[in-house]
Amino acid sequence: MRGGSPFSLWWAALLTGIVVLPFAIPPSMATEVVIYGIVAVAANLLIGYAGLYSFGQAAFFGVGGYMTANLLLHLDLPVLPALALGAVVSGLVAALVGFVCVRRTGIYFIMLTFAFNQMIFYIAYQWRDATGGEDGLSGVPRPDVLGVDIGAPIAYYAFAALVFVLCFWAMGRIVASPFGRIVVATRENPRRAASVGFDVTRAQTAIFAMSGAFTGLAGGLYAMLYGLMPIDAVNWINSGNIVFMVLIGGTGNLFGPAAGAVIFIILQDVLSVVWARWPLLFGAVVIAVVLYFQGGFVELFHRLGRWATARRKARAR
Amino acid sequence: MPLSLLVSQLLNGIAVGMLYAVAALGLSIIKGLLNIPNFAHGAFYAVGAYLLYAVVSATESFWLGLVVATVVAGGLGVLVEWFGVRRLYGGAYLFQLLLLFGVSLVVTELLIVLWGPEGKSLSPPDFLQGALIFSGIFYPKYLLFTTVAGAVIIVAVWLLIERTRYGAIIRAGIEKTEMVSALGINIEVLFTLAFAFGAGLAGLAGALAAPIVGITATMGIDMLAMAFVVLVIGGLGSLYGAVFAGLLVGITQSLVALYWPSASTILIYVAMVLILLWRPQGLLGER
Repeated sequence: MRGGSPFSLWWAALLTGIVVLPFAIPPSMATEVVIYGIVAVAANLLIGYAGLYSFGQAAFFGVGGYMTANLLLHLDLPVLPALALGAVVSGLVAALVGFVCVRRTGIYFIMLTFAFNQMIFYIAYQWRDATGGEDGLSGVPRPDVLGVDIGAPIAYYAFAALVFVLCFWAMGRIVASPFGRIVVATRENPRRAASVGFDVTRAQTAIFAMSGAFTGLAGGLYAMLYGLMPIDAVNWINSGNIVFMVLIGGTGNLFGPAAGAVIFIILQDVLSVVWARWPLLFGAVVIAVVLYFQGGFVELFHRLGRWATARRKARAR
Repeated sequence: MPLSLLVSQLLNGIAVGMLYAVAALGLSIIKGLLNIPNFAHGAFYAVGAYLLYAVVSATESFWLGLVVATVVAGGLGVLVEWFGVRRLYGGAYLFQLLLLFGVSLVVTELLIVLWGPEGKSLSPPDFLQGALIFSGIFYPKYLLFTTVAGAVIIVAVWLLIERTRYGAIIRAGIEKTEMVSALGINIEVLFTLAFAFGAGLAGLAGALAAPIVGITATMGIDMLAMAFVVLVIGGLGSLYGAVFAGLLVGITQSLVALYWPSASTILIYVAMVLILLWRPQGLLGER
């Protein structure tokens, strides 16, 4: 299933989901789903494929978002170059952060990604001219893309969904490429990978940078969604949310985390209607999921299946 | 820049560094035994600060407040380890992280629900108000108290770990968990106690910090990031590297703040990067 052929069942499910989504939930929410879909799939390049547990993905989301927002706001750049530059800059920042972090493994790697997330949050908090500080950067425009107006919510969804599909395809190619195999090898057995001649640190830094670039691209899309890049997007809590999406969807392939993004955005929406202090509820859900549904939703379906079979048997008796 | 100002700032840095050291020591013990980065450490730290505030408001007893902050944060640690972390040992590493993330969210939000979204401020107890002034050097009594208290806590932890039977078990547990278990030590209880101990230290550090930095529900996050940095700088597998690095970070931060306030935190990260590139195992790390 890794990578997958373009016409596989997984792809069919994904494309169907993308078409159905804006009719099932409001278009702006659907747009959030595809944006965080990119983020979650990019995070899984690290968590699932490279075995690098990054707890600082929000930092790159923020860097890309602020970069694209500033380019649109102050330089009147067209959408595509603004998004591309946002991705490049966040990729470069991720390359630097990754270069340092992959020097340490395991717990220390996690702590370092968290610490760098906090550093970038701190910079964003203080650098008001570029980020709007605590209030966020507002007034981000949403100009035409190659002459097509993406002002309407559904039009913007279509654009974001197209970017998502392209990113998803690109990440699938990365995973299936020889480089992707090397990355998996560095996860499975770093020593052996090194001893057969692969530069482990370089492969890890490279995949970290790629993940950061995709995440930054998504950040740029997010800034254009509500015309606002909020400081919360860079917060470590957002990094935790991203890990949650990846885990709840499952780390085994690229499709799982995309489903995880759907679940997270809908969950967030439902909980925030229930109570203003919804992070408390969300935290409780995270704890419950971790303790009772470790296998994510795949496990949940299995359980429901078993439960249904048991009931059918009971009824038959 | 007058020398007296520099010395005042240095004394301030030592006090702040002591707080980093105490919090990071707790993190280091949990990391050493349970092999997890405790993402809920910042939440325990904030709990300590709020509890001191609550106890002082109700009873005006600062000492009782410190005790309650430590004990309740430790008790919270027992709950989290007993009902959560313990059920995820073995293979489900990321789930432990996510669990601690969830705990951190719940606890932080509970503090806001209980005490409101605005921060609280707490002045030091009467006998620690005011400052010592000698040859132009301004040394608030509470900072002196924090420094001494921090040193006492660190020495007490050191004595506990290096000079007692329990400490020997903890040290052995960090080195070879299975071996300790095979020798008939109840490793599960040891893990629970270690987690509670680390959480208690976080609560105590938070309580001590409250009169200095003010009290907010998210106060723990800045500390947590710094404590992680402190552990990385301090070194792999070194409990006391955390103490040394904590002081170093506190002092550096305070001194840089004199010249370039907005860069003082960023500079710590830059220093961390340089240290990592120079000595990947950290300053006191062995491997």
